[in-house]
Amino acid sequence: MTPITIRNARVVDPATGRDELASLRIVNGLIDDIGEGIAQDDDHIIDANGAILAPALIDLRAAIEPSFTPGGETLDSLARAAASGGVGTVVISPTSSMPIDAPETVMALRAGLRPMPVRTLISAGATRNLGGETLSEIGLMATSGAAFISQGDCPIANTTTLRSLFSYASGFELWVACPARDAGLSHATVATESEAAARFGLTLEPTVSERMAIDRDATIAELTGARLMIDRVSTRDGIEALSRARKRGIEICSTVSIANLAFNSVDADGLDPAFRLTPPLRSEEDRRALVTAIENGLIDAVVSDHRPLDLDLKAQPFADAAPGSTGLEVLLAAMLRLVHEAELDLVSALRPLTSGPAELLGLPQGRLEAGAPADVVLIDGDAPWVYDVSDSASTRRNSAWEGRRFQGRVLMTMVDGGIVYNLKG
Amino acid sequence: MGRADFTYDFPHDRLITVDDLNPLDIQILFERAEHWHGVNQSPDKKHDTLKGLTQINLFFEPSTRTLASFELAGKRLGADVVNFSTSNSSTKKGETLADTARTLAAMHPDLIVVRHNASGAATFIHNETGIATVNAGDGMHSHPTQGLLDLFTLTRHFGDVGGKRVLIVGDILHSRVARSDVGMLNLLGAEIRLCAPPTLLPTDVDRWGAEIFHDLDDALDGCDAVITLRLQKERMSGALIPSVREYFHFWGLTTRRMEFANADCVVLHPGPMNRNVEIESTLADNAERSLILEQVEAGVAVRMAVLEQLGLRARKNARPGS
Repeated sequence: MTPITIRNARVVDPATGRDELASLRIVNGLIDDIGEGIAQDDDHIIDANGAILAPALIDLRAAIEPSFTPGGETLDSLARAAASGGVGTVVISPTSSMPIDAPETVMALRAGLRPMPVRTLISAGATRNLGGETLSEIGLMATSGAAFISQGDCPIANTTTLRSLFSYASGFELWVACPARDAGLSHATVATESEAAARFGLTLEPTVSERMAIDRDATIAELTGARLMIDRVSTRDGIEALSRARKRGIEICSTVSIANLAFNSVDADGLDPAFRLTPPLRSEEDRRALVTAIENGLIDAVVSDHRPLDLDLKAQPFADAAPGSTGLEVLLAAMLRLVHEAELDLVSALRPLTSGPAELLGLPQGRLEAGAPADVVLIDGDAPWVYDVSDSASTRRNSAWEGRRFQGRVLMTMVDGGIVYNLKG
Repeated sequence: MGRADFTYDFPHDRLITVDDLNPLDIQILFERAEHWHGVNQSPDKKHDTLKGLTQINLFFEPSTRTLASFELAGKRLGADVVNFSTSNSSTKKGETLADTARTLAAMHPDLIVVRHNASGAATFIHNETGIATVNAGDGMHSHPTQGLLDLFTLTRHFGDVGGKRVLIVGDILHSRVARSDVGMLNLLGAEIRLCAPPTLLPTDVDRWGAEIFHDLDDALDGCDAVITLRLQKERMSGALIPSVREYFHFWGLTTRRMEFANADCVVLHPGPMNRNVEIESTLADNAERSLILEQVEAGVAVRMAVLEQLGLRARKNARPGS
């Protein structure tokens, strides 16, 4: 394979804090060198024209649909959507329709991943059918290649079961991702408790549900020595609970869904089922608390929470619509929007998309350093564009982002030194 | 200083846990067990050591081997042995344990052997009746004759277990056997290792004087003996362990895994075994590795030694004519 040098790039790497105009040379799928005048005679040269060159994104939460679902999202369509969004590594998460709760499923998914354009990891269902009652074969799934385990969108009600799960998983040193919702308070809720939402006559979730879940799960993690991943914190109350837990020295990490960073509950006030999401959209105050938490390094990863759904499930009255939106293609652009609106600086915005999740899972990618895998994304930081869901590589069209204006667009995605997406075709 | 140099009478009027025993007590019991071990291999097994004494085996949990072992031990010592077991006990008719104890005491037995699913039951019976009591297993607490017979078996095999590296693997949380074995191993100076999934370890295990492992291959490194514990069926349903195959994959003792241990490492199991759950079937049957049948044989001899000491003391302390 001919070595490639990307020159004239603004090299931005949250892992090292690097932000400078330089060249990056790739040999045999690995980053060979970063600096000036490193290109050699026979190198294939890509001129970045000053565009941003960053590590390809790592998304810890995306879903596919079961095989042979009519019109369903497959690994292949998901991987193409990921590549076009600048995502080089995507974690397939368990859902109620595909709980990934047996080692056979993990092995089958991994067998199917090899020819994919992006790297794909598995987070396996922590309990059978995500039912929160019976441990799934966590050890055998880890042996089969699961990167961590997750309860999907299903909180565990029984604290004795939670203790067993945390205790058992701690023996394998696996992260356990738990949704930050109290099973009772959040049951059948569709939006955040507020005066406005109450007028619509919806079943509502108080934000203390998230706080209680984080306090509880962190307490049990402390008891058992588990590694707890707070899956999608979304409120100021939740951030405070997270902050308390961190001060106690518990091994805890947290993610935020991009939708909760980009939208607030006002966006859902029209009862557009596209904005029916889990966690539900929160107040502007909550959204700002999340941005501040990212700036302060309290959040380890921002996730797309890509959730492809049959439009028939989505084209329902708000309360009946299935929750979720696709998100892989806009993850980066939505974060860059926060940079343009001066809510975050570029390095802080990229960290939870690259080195943050890489460090959690001990991945070698997600950083720009000699010897690291050449998983990179080239970004035009200023290009304006409008997301048109009909152009999506995903097979599904349920998107809260339809018609959204962005500034900042993926030009090219490379994984393992190979170009897996190029805007210009 | 050997025992012959001074007079020492077995000082206990009950055996509830091995923690009650000191090294000298154990030396006495092992010497007598060795004696009975030889006697049991002869055709002349019946003796009159406990002649005239009555032994009641009071079993509130199903048991085949332990009950048979205690019954044989008592009978070979010449005691009159009566078995009460759950299927015909009055507790089925609603009687409290205290009433059962007092009722039996009124029949003037000299020895009570009790197994019960509640921790503390044997102490309770002894306190209620004042009769010499042997704990044959109380809940998750203690099973002292199992601890004695396991260590008697290992001592016969090694000569001395002091300094030997002994691993206990399996459901330590719910195991009275593990608690009794650890007590004995500590007393006799063995190096103890415990291996289990975290869900099957007690929370105070870091104070047991043992090294804790979750990975069986690591735990086996350099071991001289492995005691595998029975995984009870009700523990396999997913609350603490996901499945039998996962348990066997990570914590099942196999011939291949034994390569991590010393070449002459032996295997023990308190029985009854779940083949291919906690131990590979072929390994359990490997006569060069397995001491499992030796344990059963030692069980009768050790129980004879215990009943003998308690029975002789009971006879000595009995008021004449009462």
